[in-house]
Amino acid sequence: MSRISFHSINHVMVLRVLGWLLLIESAFMVLPLLTSLYYEELAPSIAFGISTAATLVTGCLMTLGFKPFSQNATMRKREGLLLTTSIWIIFSIFGMLPYMLTGMSLTDSFFETISGFTTTGASVIDVDSTYRGILMWRALTQWIGGLGIILFTLAVLPMLNYKGGIALFNAEMTGITHERLRPRVSQTAKDLWMVYVVLTVLMVAMLAYPMGWFDAVCCSLTTVSTGGFSTRSEGFMYWHSTYIYAVVVLFMFLGGINFAMIYNVVRGKFKRLLNSDVFKWYSFIAFGVAVIVMVTHKTTDAGNSLYKRFIYSLYDTVSALSSTGATLVNNGERGDFLLTLLMLLMFFGGMAGSTSGGAKLDRLIVMLKNMKNELYRVLHPNAVTAVRIDGKSMSHLITSKIIAFLSIYVLVMLVVAIILSFMGMGLTESVFTSLSAISSVGITADNISFAALDDVAKWLLSFEMLVGRLELFTVLVIFTRSFWIKD
Amino acid sequence: MKIVIAGAGEVGTYLAKMLSDENQDIIVIDTDDQKLANLENYNLLTYHGSATSFETLKDVGVSDVDLFIAVTPYEARNILACTLAKSHGARKTVARIDNDRYLNKEQKAFFIQRGVDHLIYPEYLAAQEIINSIKRPWVRNWFEMVDGELIVVGVKLRSNSIFIGKRLREVSGITQYLYVAAIKRNRETIIPGGDDIIMENDIAFIATTRDHINDVAKACGKKQHNIHKIIVMGGSEIAEQLCKLVGDDYNIKIFEPDNNRCQELADLLPDCHIINGDARDSELITDEGIKDYDMFIALGDSSETNILGCLMAKENGIEKTVAQVETLQYFNEAEALNIGTIINKKLLASSRIFQLMLDSDPDNAKSLALTDAEVAELIVKEGSKVTRGDIRDLHLSRNMNIAGLVRDGKGQLVTGDTRLRSGDHVVVFSLSGSLSKIEKMFN
Repeated sequence: MSRISFHSINHVMVLRVLGWLLLIESAFMVLPLLTSLYYEELAPSIAFGISTAATLVTGCLMTLGFKPFSQNATMRKREGLLLTTSIWIIFSIFGMLPYMLTGMSLTDSFFETISGFTTTGASVIDVDSTYRGILMWRALTQWIGGLGIILFTLAVLPMLNYKGGIALFNAEMTGITHERLRPRVSQTAKDLWMVYVVLTVLMVAMLAYPMGWFDAVCCSLTTVSTGGFSTRSEGFMYWHSTYIYAVVVLFMFLGGINFAMIYNVVRGKFKRLLNSDVFKWYSFIAFGVAVIVMVTHKTTDAGNSLYKRFIYSLYDTVSALSSTGATLVNNGERGDFLLTLLMLLMFFGGMAGSTSGGAKLDRLIVMLKNMKNELYRVLHPNAVTAVRIDGKSMSHLITSKIIAFLSIYVLVMLVVAIILSFMGMGLTESVFTSLSAISSVGITADNISFAALDDVAKWLLSFEMLVGRLELFTVLVIFTRSFWIKD
Repeated sequence: MKIVIAGAGEVGTYLAKMLSDENQDIIVIDTDDQKLANLENYNLLTYHGSATSFETLKDVGVSDVDLFIAVTPYEARNILACTLAKSHGARKTVARIDNDRYLNKEQKAFFIQRGVDHLIYPEYLAAQEIINSIKRPWVRNWFEMVDGELIVVGVKLRSNSIFIGKRLREVSGITQYLYVAAIKRNRETIIPGGDDIIMENDIAFIATTRDHINDVAKACGKKQHNIHKIIVMGGSEIAEQLCKLVGDDYNIKIFEPDNNRCQELADLLPDCHIINGDARDSELITDEGIKDYDMFIALGDSSETNILGCLMAKENGIEKTVAQVETLQYFNEAEALNIGTIINKKLLASSRIFQLMLDSDPDNAKSLALTDAEVAELIVKEGSKVTRGDIRDLHLSRNMNIAGLVRDGKGQLVTGDTRLRSGDHVVVFSLSGSLSKIEKMFN
């Protein structure tokens, strides 16, 4: 028998950084605590008080407790991947405390939290009857998760501004290549967060008057992050205002754009965005599909005004495309054609490097161009072809990685769908729900509530959401043998 | 500090990694994606493009760059890139060149006028380093500052040294004229404290003043024997530089297997003996009388061959050997095998650039290249942190050590009671990665 030897992973360092991250989470929890206190809600005030304290103490113990032993501060690929995955789980474990302390079950609390952090927006809460503090925390989880827990940390923690930080950055950021804006990773993180904060503040400013401050803040946090948690059970339909819909469409659309490109626009480089192939596709799909939706679906609420109907259709389209998952219509009333069309949008989602979920349009484009090349090569076997994005050719390594990504994506989605159907869900419903979770959209085909699902299904979907948000490889590689064991 | 490195070759890559670990903002430009991919996991930005294109320079924001380093394989391209970068507003530029014809003092103004502030010729630096070890064969590394007022030497300590087994505190008790600034032991550089004990086979980095250099040699148990006859293996550019500089002071014999290169060398170096053959051929070197030689310098293309060549020479009774080792991974092995001095162009070039970053005059300081530590010469600025108290009370980081200082043109060593003044030139030893902290202390 051969001896099994494990890869040496710097667990101490991982735990220490986890501790730091928990400290940051506890700082975030202060906001809902203050909200609860402001609205004089007793139960959530206590819940958030306890949660904040628990997170803070654990964080302190982990950072200080491990300090004396941590001589070497190296973080390589394995540590980066492990840390990224575990922090999303641990954030959810501590983030669910407020829900549990206000009376929800363990499964529901975890599902709600991870659905928040992954910006899925699948909810098991009856939002009309819950506390404002809880609503604020839900919104905040999506906002933190939107751009990434670790990206925020990279911006504020100088200790990660080294090689290890790059491993984390690559493990968490969405997209094919991880574009950096500035030489140091912390600067890049700061710039991206600045864009994010500015967008959010803008949206709050535009919605504060018609919606009131509380709703405006919560809804802005969840819309810019393309999460889709709402403060009302009807979602934005509660307000019946085309102006609000238009604003929401705008920010969902922005949330689906690569943030590095938005940053370049802010810096006056409009051309980069306009010349980007992916952006052209993104805009074309959004408006093109919106027209199809408008023509084929007679939305009752919109009446006969063409302008209103267009906004409504655009709202639905962009909501699916950017993986926000806020709809103006009951999905059950849409008819199969539109549902299928929206599923396709959900599958691919927005641009890489945005807050949206899905497999990302960048990959769709590479896949289609590669397909075209392969067809061409059937007739010209010796032809040398290249997949070009924005005038730059992609190496075969990247192309094959993308194809692998898409295959695994579909595979994971189907496996979960099969398990869901085994548990008694219908065909459309199980595929749709599974896709909705992996693409972090968070809607169901028939607008049935996630609360009605089995506990097992909730855990399964929680896992699927995490895998989808971290774009497969980061999570799945941890379950491979070669991650742990030297062969 | 924002630094742009044009060219992701060996030197460029090494510099980028080192400076990124030193917390600097690094942008690396190259036309080869494959080379840039090697830097993927480092905390820096890579840019695909040509360093001599206006578009590239604008895109990387060269207008607010503090240091522009051109180290592409082509000399002319490097000079052009620096000129362009300077005209776009880069604060300081440095270009690598590949021959000595531009190194004259008179031409300096010409290049500065054209936007090239400093020229680096690694082969010349390597030749300088070799000359140091020829002049003082008992020393492994030699670093001098401000016209040699203060000297730092790296010495391997054998059992005959008076330091062995003593605490540093005791060492400074017996010998006031020297200061042990760093120790290299088992592949690791240590910045020692007063309680650390010096052991046999340590390489100690000792600071001293010019007058006491012979006392240091004695204390280390080294005898100064003069070198007269030298064998050089490989007629590389470094060999050529070396012979140009000191060819008529020593009896140098170059072994070069390539016939055409031998002809070339024979033309260039009338004072040296050129032998067409391989220095690893034991029959040949015996015929050429290897036993009579004092020193063996291996400057071939392959690090492995150079190391082995030195070992062979040692077997033939040559005491002092020098090997050029370009593969950094072999550094420790070569040191363990007792190859005396190790030459590495990358390290020499980068330590020169390191000096540039610290704003001291690189032409005055001789650089000392180590793999995991840096030696830098700094000038104390008015009102900086280090002037606020005696060194004892400054609570300097454990990763650094002040080895000595030159004040009013006179070198002196540093004790706990020394208080630095603005204008002092200071030699600092630091472990890699602590540069930014040191900069803060001195500015």
